[in-house]
Amino acid sequence: MSRKKRGAFLQQLVYTGPVSIFFILVILVPFAMGMYYSFTNWNGISGEVDWVGFENFRTIFMQDNAFRTAFWFTVRFTVASVILTNLVGFSLAYVLTRPLKGRNVLRTLFFMPNVIGGLLLGFIWQFIFVKGFATLGEITGLAFFQLPWLGDEPTGFWAIVIVFVWQSAGYLMVIYIASINNVSREVLEAASIDGASRWQVLRSIILPLIMPAVTVCLFLTISWSFKMFDLNLSLTKGGPFRSTESLALNIYVESFQNNKYGLGTAKALLFFIVVATVTLFQVRLTKSKEVEA
Amino acid sequence: MKKMKRLMFLLTSVLTLSLVLSACGGGNKAANGGNAGDEASQGGNAPAEIKTVKILQLKTEIVEGLNELKVEFEKEHPNIKLEIQTVGGDYGTFLKTKFASGEEPDIFTNGGFKDMETWLDRMEDLSDQPWVNDLLPLAKEPMTLDGKVYGMAMNLEGFGFIYNKDLFEQAGITELPKTYSQLEEAAQKLEASGVTPFSNGYQEWWIIGNQGINPAFAQQPDPDAFIKGLNEGTESFTDNAKFQEWVKLIDLTVKYGNKNSLTTDYNTQVAEFANGKAAMMQQGNWAQLQIDQINPDLNLGVLPMPLGEDAELNDKLNVGVPANLVVNKNSPVKEEAKIFLNWYVTSDIGKEYIVKKFKFIPAFSTMEATVEDMGDIGAEVWNYAQAGKVNTLNAPKFPDGLAHEFASATQAHIAGKYDMNQMLDEFKVGWDTLK
Repeated sequence: MSRKKRGAFLQQLVYTGPVSIFFILVILVPFAMGMYYSFTNWNGISGEVDWVGFENFRTIFMQDNAFRTAFWFTVRFTVASVILTNLVGFSLAYVLTRPLKGRNVLRTLFFMPNVIGGLLLGFIWQFIFVKGFATLGEITGLAFFQLPWLGDEPTGFWAIVIVFVWQSAGYLMVIYIASINNVSREVLEAASIDGASRWQVLRSIILPLIMPAVTVCLFLTISWSFKMFDLNLSLTKGGPFRSTESLALNIYVESFQNNKYGLGTAKALLFFIVVATVTLFQVRLTKSKEVEA
Repeated sequence: MKKMKRLMFLLTSVLTLSLVLSACGGGNKAANGGNAGDEASQGGNAPAEIKTVKILQLKTEIVEGLNELKVEFEKEHPNIKLEIQTVGGDYGTFLKTKFASGEEPDIFTNGGFKDMETWLDRMEDLSDQPWVNDLLPLAKEPMTLDGKVYGMAMNLEGFGFIYNKDLFEQAGITELPKTYSQLEEAAQKLEASGVTPFSNGYQEWWIIGNQGINPAFAQQPDPDAFIKGLNEGTESFTDNAKFQEWVKLIDLTVKYGNKNSLTTDYNTQVAEFANGKAAMMQQGNWAQLQIDQINPDLNLGVLPMPLGEDAELNDKLNVGVPANLVVNKNSPVKEEAKIFLNWYVTSDIGKEYIVKKFKFIPAFSTMEATVEDMGDIGAEVWNYAQAGKVNTLNAPKFPDGLAHEFASATQAHIAGKYDMNQMLDEFKVGWDTLK
């Protein structure tokens, strides 16, 4: 190694070394251990760990109805929340990049839910849904508030979607605002001189130019909603009758409640593969749509 | 340019290094501070080594009392320090992570039966302890395996339908219902008098799957043989008369119950009852504390949960041990841990705290509790236990996680998604998956 190369190597070591150490310790090592446990029947407690080969995966695919339900729930949830979160986030950003009074205050307000932890949010919203909505229903007589919120399948599902959108739309808004502000004034001005309508400007100029932001936002929301756990736990605990159990919660239940740690880690491994595939595919797809002005 | 880069490199290295070092320094300082505090608290005591016993337990309602008791114990045993941590809610998960991270507690709690088998590798045999013979037989059973006793029952708890005596009188119910049809009649009278007969907290899995379902198991001719049959596939729920009657009982409570029982949690359920809006609820003596906070003047009693029409068979409350204190086999201070456990149930002050302060129904024959100590509900449970009219708890014998499955299938039934047979079929599916 030449002097120069060694210098560069040392420099990289100093910059990335500490991070790498923690990354290996906190992410890679547990991941490898998890992979090992997914081929065992360990219960999470005893000293006995038996190798069972692909038995856990066979159980998941052949017998586990709960896992299938949870998977289907997660897919539906992801589709609904990705679309809604991005729509709301983008609309907020679009409105709040126009010259409005109190724009900064509004931006802060919409961003705020993101600062509160998901668990806490869940408990607050549980109160709103169960007590607040019921009271509103009594006062106003509106059918929407008189639904048995969190008490049946559809309300349980939409309750989680509502809170999720409310929590994460603010974050996406910030990304979209930054991106919209970057769209060059000259292009916009040229468009308006050419007589483009507001809708045309949005569709043919702004949207293509902020595709990099769309890539990031889609990626974030897809992986967030796939991995959604805290809201699920605090809002519905997967209930009623396990109809709103997300994959992450199902894995948790399997490992810690049913004491089937091996089976739980096997599910986690599958979960990782699915999330990684979906997000990789999505990033590819939206990247190909990115253009430059 | 090259020089500049080198300088930058040097600077950043120094910065990083100083960061790392300062972090270490901070740590040291904190540690020193801790030691200094310890020494101060020991005062001029003998230089004998102080041993710390770490306790992890799950009863949140006794945290304050335990801390007072800790002071008393440390006064008498200057060489032992107690470190008590209480985790309600997800206790099992917390305990597992503690063991996984190597911060094992020296004393922890265990649910008995199946839970004992799960944790057997970690538990010290306590059969030779002086207090073992004073344990009531009912309280000894859950922690006994092959003649060895592994844990100390914390208390007894019992449940059934807690009822409001005044509301019953007001509705003109003179004879207490002992069978299903009598209960239905009582519910009709109550409804006619303008109160909700039942306050149901069916959002909580444990109200259904851990406790509510117990009579259906306990009333089998031989519950243990029935559970064994389930494990071997020779028994099922669907054709079982007791389970069909239990589903009818659930339907009754829902029909004559509060609105939206699936979104009613424990606190709401108790509040509804304590405010006098509802006349009955399926709960146990632990609810006395919450009820007293809302309305201490209620006259309360406990009714058995009737399945079918056999009044004598039904006249039993569900009584068992909610948690047992056990000693970690690998703990370096297990002798000290045993000293504490022994002191806890044999010293006068320990006994007094258990009965007067924690308001426990004692699990030891050496402790006396009065009605004032235990409250209306506790006293009623105690009377039933004394008379031997007891259904022992079966949930600790279920496969791990099954109580949740029972609860979710029952919730689906309450929501109208499953009829009785589908629900009982789901029970079986759950049992077969988790056994």
